[in-house]
Amino acid sequence: MPVDLRETRLPGVGVKYTFRTAQGGRVAVIMHVDGQREIYFYRRADDDEPTAVIELHDDEARQLGAIIGGAYERPKIVEELEMALGELHIEWIPVPDTSPAIGLTLADAGLRARTGVTVIAILRDPEPVSGAQPGDVFQQGDTLVGVGKAGQFSAFRRMLAEGPFETEGV
Amino acid sequence: MTLAELALTVAVLGALGLVARRLGLSAIPAYLLAGLLLGPNEPEQLALIQPSEVTDFVAQLGIVFLLFFLGLEFSLSRATRTGRHVVLGGAVDLAVNFGLGLLVGVAAFGFSFAALVLAACVYVSSSAIAVKGLIDFRRLGDDETDLVLAILVFEDIVVAFMLGFAAAGGGEVSDTLVLVAKALGFITVGLAASRWLSGPIDRTLDRLPLEFFLLAVFGLLIGSAAVADELGLSEAIGALMAGIVLSETSVREQIEERFFSFRDIFAALFFFVFGLSIDLGAIGDVGWLVAFAVALTLVGKLAGGMVAGSLGSFTRRQSLNAGVALVAHGEFTIILAQVASQNPLLEPAQRTELVAFAGLYVLATATIGLVLMKESKRIGRAVFRPRPTLIEEA
Repeated sequence: MPVDLRETRLPGVGVKYTFRTAQGGRVAVIMHVDGQREIYFYRRADDDEPTAVIELHDDEARQLGAIIGGAYERPKIVEELEMALGELHIEWIPVPDTSPAIGLTLADAGLRARTGVTVIAILRDPEPVSGAQPGDVFQQGDTLVGVGKAGQFSAFRRMLAEGPFETEGV
Repeated sequence: MTLAELALTVAVLGALGLVARRLGLSAIPAYLLAGLLLGPNEPEQLALIQPSEVTDFVAQLGIVFLLFFLGLEFSLSRATRTGRHVVLGGAVDLAVNFGLGLLVGVAAFGFSFAALVLAACVYVSSSAIAVKGLIDFRRLGDDETDLVLAILVFEDIVVAFMLGFAAAGGGEVSDTLVLVAKALGFITVGLAASRWLSGPIDRTLDRLPLEFFLLAVFGLLIGSAAVADELGLSEAIGALMAGIVLSETSVREQIEERFFSFRDIFAALFFFVFGLSIDLGAIGDVGWLVAFAVALTLVGKLAGGMVAGSLGSFTRRQSLNAGVALVAHGEFTIILAQVASQNPLLEPAQRTELVAFAGLYVLATATIGLVLMKESKRIGRAVFRPRPTLIEEA
């Protein structure tokens, strides 16, 4: 069942998203202009005072969002998908902020040629890249979706974190 | 004003601001109080700072930055997206509170332009204090918060309009028509610039090195304020327009980030300088007026909130919360009074009284408003008990 999510602008503050939970509670998430998030939980939808308020910094909120959204711990459906792929695995690999690959194109980095892992998609804000092309550029904050054999991923992660690449990124 | 005096001023502002924060109050009344204490009027033992050209100039920069930020945040498309509450809630609030404000204005100044300015001072709530309260008291998640912020947006638009007239209005009908024409012309040029020039401005600013980026934005802001000032429209309108033009560019967030600290410093000094000119000696003249206005404000904002709330199908408790959040008056009341106090068409006695009134009125409502806001949910539970049927169910 789709969640009835309501979006409201709070002028001078940010944006508010509200929805009711199946248990009859109410959740309000406020995205402040400065990146701060607040989560308000009301045990009953018409409660006066929130039962709990959680304040999060931008990075904490993203982490929490990844966990809840299932991008962090791979959801069950992905595990099933991996079974179907047989020997091949799909893994979610965050690009480290210090990665020398940032600023390089997929083709320049040559990760596939050197490790055997193919990047098939890039998760990034605001639009994820589905069907990554050789010309796509690694950016800070990207999470790569790679396909490869089980043993190839450790080399892939190491190279992504440390290089070396022939042309270093900016 | 010497550097030593400035240092003393900033120290007092910081200390009083911190105390206000500890008490859960807004910094605005604290800054006004600092000016009142250190200024040349009562108490005279502490009269350390004299108003001068320097303090006036600093105050002017404060107005410019405050209005610039209002313009940056403001955008017609965003205002309309805030939804139906803006028009409905805003109109109820305007009708009730501008009406009651006129009552106070006429009582003070008779049927005159000063009465109109005073009505606007009583009408416009403080966005800064309301938003601070909503955040501090954890009200952002509440449904009625949408209504409060929508009404504040509406008030800001009305007051932006009023500001154009506060500086030079009140003359002959023909003069006023010229002023209206100038204001409309300036606003039209500004809106056209925001529509067609934001692209080129955006690209130019985006390419500038940081140092020149700051200078370019600052130049645009002060230039626009100066043009408006020369036209007799008040620098406030010029700064507001500069903000609106830049609000449509992609560098808006960067500008906000860079100029945030400027605004905070100069706004604090602005309230302080305004405080310097508050004469407690005038309390005999305006004391009754302030008391009358505060009482009417409580009635008007609460009643307005209840009506707007019920029209927006909020519960009575939620409507009460909304009304209470609008009791506090602050930055706009002060800005209006300051701009009007430079208006040569007002009688000097009216100007002095306006300043004293606005200062004391803000001190009173900002304090009462925040205290009420903190307690409004408890009051709501006590006054509007749940319907009997609900008790039986429980």
